[in-house]
Amino acid sequence: MTQTPQTAPEPEVMIRLENLTKRFPGTQRNAVDGLTLDIHAGEIVVLVGPSGCGKTTTMKMINRIIEPTSGRIILGGEDVTTTNADQLRRRIGYVIQQTGLFPHLTIGENVATVPKLLGWDAARTRSRVDELLSMVNMDPDEYRGRYPKQLSGGQQQRVGVARALGGDPQVMLMDEPFGAIDPITRERLQNEFLRLQSEVRKTIVFVTHDIDEAIKMGDRIAILQEGSSIAQYDTPEKILTAPANDFVRDFIGGGASLKRLSLSRVRDIELASWPTVSAADSLEQAHRVLRESDHSAVLVLDTEGRPARWVGAEDLRRGAGQSLDRIGTVPQAVVESRATLSDALNELIAARYAVTVVVDQDGRHLGVVDIEQINEAIRSMRHSAVAEARTEFADGRTAP
Amino acid sequence: MSTVTPVGVRDADVVTQTPPAAGRRGWVGYLTMPLILAVVLISLYLYVNGRELDSIEARSLNAAALSTAVGEHVALTAVSTVITLLIAVPLGILLTRPFTRRVRPFIITLLTLGQAVPTISVLVLLAVMFLFLGFQAAIVGLVLYAIIPVLLNTMVGLEQVDENVLEAGRGMGLSRFQVLRRLELPLAVPVILAGVRTALVINVGTATLATYINGGGLGDVIMAGLSTNRVLVQVVGAVLTSVLALLIDYLAGLAENLLQPKGLRSTRS
Ligand SMILES: Nc1ncnc2c1ncn2[C@@H]1O[C@H](COP(=O)(O)OP(=O)(O)OP(=O)(O)O)[C@@H](O)[C@H]1O
Ligand SMILES: [Mg+2]
Repeated sequence: MTQTPQTAPEPEVMIRLENLTKRFPGTQRNAVDGLTLDIHAGEIVVLVGPSGCGKTTTMKMINRIIEPTSGRIILGGEDVTTTNADQLRRRIGYVIQQTGLFPHLTIGENVATVPKLLGWDAARTRSRVDELLSMVNMDPDEYRGRYPKQLSGGQQQRVGVARALGGDPQVMLMDEPFGAIDPITRERLQNEFLRLQSEVRKTIVFVTHDIDEAIKMGDRIAILQEGSSIAQYDTPEKILTAPANDFVRDFIGGGASLKRLSLSRVRDIELASWPTVSAADSLEQAHRVLRESDHSAVLVLDTEGRPARWVGAEDLRRGAGQSLDRIGTVPQAVVESRATLSDALNELIAARYAVTVVVDQDGRHLGVVDIEQINEAIRSMRHSAVAEARTEFADGRTAP
Repeated sequence: MSTVTPVGVRDADVVTQTPPAAGRRGWVGYLTMPLILAVVLISLYLYVNGRELDSIEARSLNAAALSTAVGEHVALTAVSTVITLLIAVPLGILLTRPFTRRVRPFIITLLTLGQAVPTISVLVLLAVMFLFLGFQAAIVGLVLYAIIPVLLNTMVGLEQVDENVLEAGRGMGLSRFQVLRRLELPLAVPVILAGVRTALVINVGTATLATYINGGGLGDVIMAGLSTNRVLVQVVGAVLTSVLALLIDYLAGLAENLLQPKGLRSTRS
């Protein structure tokens, strides 16, 4: 039998929540009701769901800011449900929306909090602080001595992340860390954070109520319903292409197909070809190529193979006597192959010939993306996700 | 008084944690008050010196007697304030911990009632019922009176600290005690200090009553003037008390600015 991806060894489980339940005193129902969830090492797991469904409560039970009513929390194989909470928390980074920076301490002192608690010596702490500030793109010399209120909201949130990484924890908990920040800065912080995560590879529990943020940030997404009951726990791809039920479908909302497009890259799909000629070719040559194709323009490539011009039949007629790289129009809709399909689609909509030209990182022409291929990509994503979901279902049934 | 309100702190300060920007006053601002007080004292000295004093006046208005009275007055104020702090600040901390939530209203009501009884009655009661007189009895009376402002400000100061800051602290693994010592207390300092300043000012004034139970202080001078019907002696006693009160308030204000955590000061980078 061939090895299918599903039977490959599962990555190590870093956080296991077992039947975790919380009832706040004086309330009628459980805020979190018997949640069981495995979180794999090195993954960002996003808890997402409507307001009041229990995301924050769930997250805060992991570092026991909120003590569970019943159930178990297992961290790296060790049951930490009743261990010393202060010791536990020094091993878990914690970032909250309102930053919670200590206003009377400098940025450097804030970031040094956990290293100091862990008893690191001054020299090691100092170099760690500088390292962390650089990691979140803040110049240590400039910001170390400032106080929190001398920073912008985005900078404060960066410091919050740096501080949470202080003791080099394996696990980070983040409750809507970018929630209170303007959309442009949020976008930048998200990207920075993803780049940071690709270096540090922490196990991260990330709470948000924004499905787009969840899709962007999550390796896996847990869509939660009231009482933190799991509506679906899966990769963003599968959640978008094969929502488990109506709740998930509603929660994803209308633009599911569009959202899906930001999950795949241009290099993952088969590009369409487009007639090309070299800039050194003659106009007659271009004419012939154009006539033989069923397209209305040819793409002129320079000597390096980079797109130089779009030339249509009309351009050829009017430009008689000139060289090919002097006539026609400069290609506008050009993306690199690592762009997402969503980027490609954006370009395509505005493009003159309804295609996006794809180039490699040196700018050399690889092919084009047109609307047909985008459709095809959406269809195949849906099929493979459904097929995968079916096999998993079948496996689950037959497993002992 | 049913709700807990801080004394001597403006609303805005409690909300924004940015007490008045004293750092901007500049040197002129800092020197104004001492200069005024010095002018008052020198004028008083010149005036008294230029007068022919009768023997009764001379008995009160000489350097030795006056400096004893001032010394006793300062001692009464200082000792009572220190004891007040030693009682009120820890009590304020205790009463803001979750486990004392139930007894909190009870204790506050009790102390507020206690404050409603005038100090003079307390002093007289102590003297009559327990034959408790002198410096120590005066201290008891003063402390009882000054506890409330310091206690209330300690509680308000601790309670106004941003909940998110405390949660972040706990989330990083600070113990409850570390959260108190490193976060809550430093962040409550401005409001607590405002209470201390109030207590000091109350105590300087109230210490004049100590004379009724042989506690000494500038009250002695004023009383001597009253009983012998010498207006000049009364005025000297009263002016010295006022100057002392203003001076202590001024010094407390300076201390407030100095002890204010840097990060909370109005920005001046
Ligand atoms: N301290 C508390 N006492 C009583 N009930 C609480 C407490 N904290 C949360 N709850 C309740 O528990 C439920 C879950 O709250 P939680 O804060 O976990 O929601 P959430 O999913 O994080 O919502 P949001 O997206 O609005 O932050 C809510 O119904 C809330 O009212
Ligand atoms: Mg929440």
